[in-house]
Amino acid sequence: MIISGIRIIKFAFQDFFRNFWLSLATVSVLTLTLLTVNGLIAVNFLGKMAISEAEDRVDVGIHFRPEIGEERIQTVKITLMGMPEVRDVEYVSPAESLRRFSEQYGDDALVIESLGEVDGNPFGSTLVVRARSIGDYEKIIKTLDDPAFAEIIEERDFDDRQEIIGRIETISRRIEAFGLGASAAIAIVTFLIVLNTIRVSIYTHREEIRIMRLVGASNGFIRGPFYVQAVAWSVLAVALTAAVTVPTVFFVQPYLERFFGSTSVDLVGFYRVNLLEIFGVQLLAVMAMSIITTKMATARYLRT
Amino acid sequence: MIRFKNVTKTYPPDVIGLRNVNLHIRPGEFVSIVGQSGTGKTTFCKLLIAEERPTRGQITIGGWDISDIRQSEIPVLRRQIGVVFQDFKLLPKKTARENIAFALEVCGVSHRDIRTVVPQALKIVGLSSKADRYPRQMSGGEQQRVVIARSLVHRPKIIVADEPTGNLDSLNTREIIDLLKRINRFGTTVVLVTHNRDVVNELNRRVVTIDRGLVVSDQEEGKYVL
Repeated sequence: MIISGIRIIKFAFQDFFRNFWLSLATVSVLTLTLLTVNGLIAVNFLGKMAISEAEDRVDVGIHFRPEIGEERIQTVKITLMGMPEVRDVEYVSPAESLRRFSEQYGDDALVIESLGEVDGNPFGSTLVVRARSIGDYEKIIKTLDDPAFAEIIEERDFDDRQEIIGRIETISRRIEAFGLGASAAIAIVTFLIVLNTIRVSIYTHREEIRIMRLVGASNGFIRGPFYVQAVAWSVLAVALTAAVTVPTVFFVQPYLERFFGSTSVDLVGFYRVNLLEIFGVQLLAVMAMSIITTKMATARYLRT
Repeated sequence: MIRFKNVTKTYPPDVIGLRNVNLHIRPGEFVSIVGQSGTGKTTFCKLLIAEERPTRGQITIGGWDISDIRQSEIPVLRRQIGVVFQDFKLLPKKTARENIAFALEVCGVSHRDIRTVVPQALKIVGLSSKADRYPRQMSGGEQQRVVIARSLVHRPKIIVADEPTGNLDSLNTREIIDLLKRINRFGTTVVLVTHNRDVVNELNRRVVTIDRGLVVSDQEEGKYVL
């Protein structure tokens, strides 16, 4: 058994190098398929990060009438914090509101002049509410419509980025659909190429195979080298894909940070954490595809 | 040893290979199967090594019914039957020694056993001195002797030789037939398929004649009658 196993591996590698260019073409096509899949994974990750970044910037600002005391505002805050949809509520005092306003419009002489004409601090207290997800804002806003709250609220603004989020989601979905379509098309081409590579390999070795059958080699022994070759192609293709993908990810990371204006878009980190999972699943998938193809080719062309 | 019982083989749509053949070959016999081209001789060989299945009837070898043999059992059967064909079926990039060793390698035989068995087989066929020659460096007769050596390495109980002298001159033909007779003397059953009248007549052994798929004659110490 061990002797046969070693010989199967030996024959497989002999075949691999005898049909070197054919093997190289097969590995290249498998690698291209995997690179497309990795491109899709990266785009998917970036799309999710973009949506998450946009969602993080959405909030509802509740501006209270200046005469409303902090105690009542704290009650509203506690009520809102009790809602499962609310992630956090920030209290901004009138003084802090004034400071932030001055900071934001410090360069605008007209605004500062207008502010000077008003007696005292024109700002009331504010609560800034952030929901757990974008869909939760609807319920929060509905709660604020309650007359108990409405009478103490002077104004509320909902920094609505839903449109941008919707657009990012649409683009992500389209890219994902295109990527899936492209991957499926390449997978079919890959399948056909692997199938034909094995057929050519069987044809090249038809005399050897005929002799093997005549002298009593088992079907497993005759087919074994083709399976080993398929596994070797898969391992090589995944290794090549990793060798291209990982440096590319490191290369694009600074550009992504600049583009998103945030270091939280960490594609390198994503690959670092999920490296084994990403390439492990790819290896298993490519191996499964190659083995199924080999089984089909050998079943069709190696009938005893 | 070998028993054909009412064996019929047809190929689609309605080509008849063998028709209701009944035959019993005893252990250690040397039987010539003769007949003109396309009469079913090769079908007979293919049925013996389970390359084809009979359409009807039963084939047993040493009590083993191979009429409906399982795919996984075919290699076991073929290790018990040495096969020699007209076209030598040697691998051109392997030497005589490597060609013989190949038959053992692919069946999982250890290197140590291969090193023992291959020189013995080469000695039996008288090619010890040409073990490292490639097929292209050997005559047709020598190549056929390599094939016979290869068929012997599993110590088969039966040798099936399908037109083994078809591509050889008379001198080489005589050498190959002498070799088969020698192997038969060791107790191996030899089934020789041929249409060479001189070979059959000189052998003076059992002759089974097939014509259009039918066994038309079966004679002990027979002659080529067609």
